[in-house]
Amino acid sequence: MNVFEIISNTNIDYKEKRHLLAQAAENTLTYVNLSVKTEKHLKKGILCDIFEGHAPYRPRYILPDYEKFIKNGSEYLGIEPPKDMYEAVNALMIIYQYVPSITGYPVYVGQLDYILQKFVDTVSEKEARNLIKMLLINIEKTLPDAFVHMNIGPKETKAGRMILEIERELKKAVPNISLKYSKEETSPDFAKFAAEVALEIGKPYFVNHQEIKDILGENYGVASCYNTLKIGGGSYTLVRLNLKKAAQEAKDYNDFIENILPNVVDSLCEVINARAKFIVEEAKFFETSFLAREGLIDINNFTSMAGIFGLYECIELLTGLKLGHDDEATKYGEEILEKIKKVIDEIEGYGCFGTGGKIGFHAQSGIDSDIDVTAGVRIKIGSEPSIYNQIKTEGRLHKYFNTGVSDIYIFDKTARQNIDGVIKIIDAAMKSGIKVFALNTSDSELIRITGYLVKRSDVEKYNRGEALREDTVKLGAESIKNNKTLDRRVREIE
Amino acid sequence: MKGFINRIIENSFIDGPGNRMAIFMQGCNMACLYCHNPETQRMCTRCGKCLEVCETGALSIEEGKIKYNKKKCIGCDRCLEGCLNFSSPKYFEIESDELVKLILDNEMFLDGITFSGGECTLQTDFIVDVVKKVKKNSSLTAFIDTNGFIKEEDLNKLISCVDGFMFDVKAVNDDIHRTLTGVSNEVIFKNLKILAKTELLYEVRYVLVEGYNDNIEEIKGLSELLKELNDYTRLVLIPFRPFGVKTHLKNMLPFNREKYDIIYEEIYKILKERVIKKD
Repeated sequence: MNVFEIISNTNIDYKEKRHLLAQAAENTLTYVNLSVKTEKHLKKGILCDIFEGHAPYRPRYILPDYEKFIKNGSEYLGIEPPKDMYEAVNALMIIYQYVPSITGYPVYVGQLDYILQKFVDTVSEKEARNLIKMLLINIEKTLPDAFVHMNIGPKETKAGRMILEIERELKKAVPNISLKYSKEETSPDFAKFAAEVALEIGKPYFVNHQEIKDILGENYGVASCYNTLKIGGGSYTLVRLNLKKAAQEAKDYNDFIENILPNVVDSLCEVINARAKFIVEEAKFFETSFLAREGLIDINNFTSMAGIFGLYECIELLTGLKLGHDDEATKYGEEILEKIKKVIDEIEGYGCFGTGGKIGFHAQSGIDSDIDVTAGVRIKIGSEPSIYNQIKTEGRLHKYFNTGVSDIYIFDKTARQNIDGVIKIIDAAMKSGIKVFALNTSDSELIRITGYLVKRSDVEKYNRGEALREDTVKLGAESIKNNKTLDRRVREIE
Repeated sequence: MKGFINRIIENSFIDGPGNRMAIFMQGCNMACLYCHNPETQRMCTRCGKCLEVCETGALSIEEGKIKYNKKKCIGCDRCLEGCLNFSSPKYFEIESDELVKLILDNEMFLDGITFSGGECTLQTDFIVDVVKKVKKNSSLTAFIDTNGFIKEEDLNKLISCVDGFMFDVKAVNDDIHRTLTGVSNEVIFKNLKILAKTELLYEVRYVLVEGYNDNIEEIKGLSELLKELNDYTRLVLIPFRPFGVKTHLKNMLPFNREKYDIIYEEIYKILKERVIKKD
């Protein structure tokens, strides 16, 4: 859209227009410096920067250390350390307005159960519930974007349970919620309650706490869709590689592994490093952000993300095999991912101190304009095998990713009557190596698109041409059309 | 040992506690007026009627046996409708070892397995073979979903190796039972009492069919009996639904909800939490 088209569009509201106009302004600059080879890969669509803009001036994802903020207050914001639940909730609502991201809204709003638990006893139970409800409604109304992500768990707390109870009652797409789940730390009762809520409203996700803790340490958060990053850090950028398109360039499988992959992954890292460098050295983000000045973020916790998608089509094109239906296909999948990871790890990641100096590896879950190409390392929608085979296949592929990978499993509504059975499957998935397990039921009012939720009724409104508060509804509606989101295999129970 | 199986549902939340693999066996010793899976009732007589209605060529006759080609099947179920014998060309024979392998391959996802049908206990020896092998190699539980019309010898074999029974009572009044199922309920109540005295009678299922078995006094009688027999068996009250019914009662309306709620309330007074409500 050009500037006039943005201004005169009746399908988007004022805030979204302002966001798009800022993007248009940024894009009047030339793109960060790239080699000719890499520019060619971007033009061809083998690489895609997800419309991050030509001259990035803030990291894509930021995960401020809200616990530290609550403990110390903020000089910049003129906020004293909160003494009770009222002050804590107020402080949080204020700082959210000051957290930059690619979407303009904070993609991480913190480990809210643990943060609020410290204040729960400063007020009566009724007041605590009202205050949490107020905070959740405030987040939904002032940050109307389904990439706004809250974390809870792994331990059960009074505040955590209240959050789920209230979310269940509110039934809103925003915020996204992840439960850090661990068989050792999460009480069975809380896990069952969370699964019950997830079957009703599509959230929380079940995050494999043990696996991710082993990679990033205890101090990690889940942001935006399902990006796992260090708290007090974030990711400068996410650029993705379309494995289907890359496969189309290859003469055969061998050519793909030996020549095409090393070449395009090298370009992928080049774009990422150029963008990260621009944020740090040209936009001087860390020198200008109060979050950095007050120690709420630290460059040492940051990284960048190299995303891939379309593994399913890539394998199908090069070998004729179908992922999820053929063990050989999984072996090819492992070999491809191993190769990509190896190339990434041979290159220094600019400013990627949060992941040992290497760029993080991420299974990107697709965007609304992707057509005929499957998200991340998932199995094509509609072609999923039995849930056990799907989990076993994907479990083998999830192990390569350190900054985010997930899949969505749709159950028939009878699952609601047998939460023990659902937990059994989640536990088996965690043991199989699934890092983030999203569940939903086929008749849910909230639809999980790729890693975020939209309301069925809002999609219908969008399709009728009404302007909506949440920009993610637009993405969701387009995605449903283009990606056959609603055709995901239902785990039907007869 | 070989068994005849109509189909296997790898992931079921409604056939016993937790997540279970449900194995539907072919063949039944009743012919209920409201049977929801009539194609599981009888064995194939190789009459070939199903071949006439299959439009995709998924069925053929080879060496006098009906061959079913799953890849060509579009799931229209015309073959099932066309079968005059309450059977299916899709059921298959499986070696117990092969079934055991399928179960154990998915052990980590499962709480257990459930044999259903048809009437699974008609293939008791096969079930016992599978269950013993599964239990030798895993901690999975085995449940039996039965109409209760079980030979004494088979019942004893099953009691010695399975973990629970889900037991249908189709009607309390014997005449009504005969009308609904074609057989007397004498053996069924005898078996119910035997099982109730073990720890294995997980639940009793009662499908409420309007005008047949919905007399409140009879259901109260069943509830009193369960209360007297033990302190743990659940009674699941299931309202009749025409969905899947292809025979005599296919045009009957779903069981009236208000009536259902009244019955539930009355039974709740007797069995408290042991009575389970179904949508």
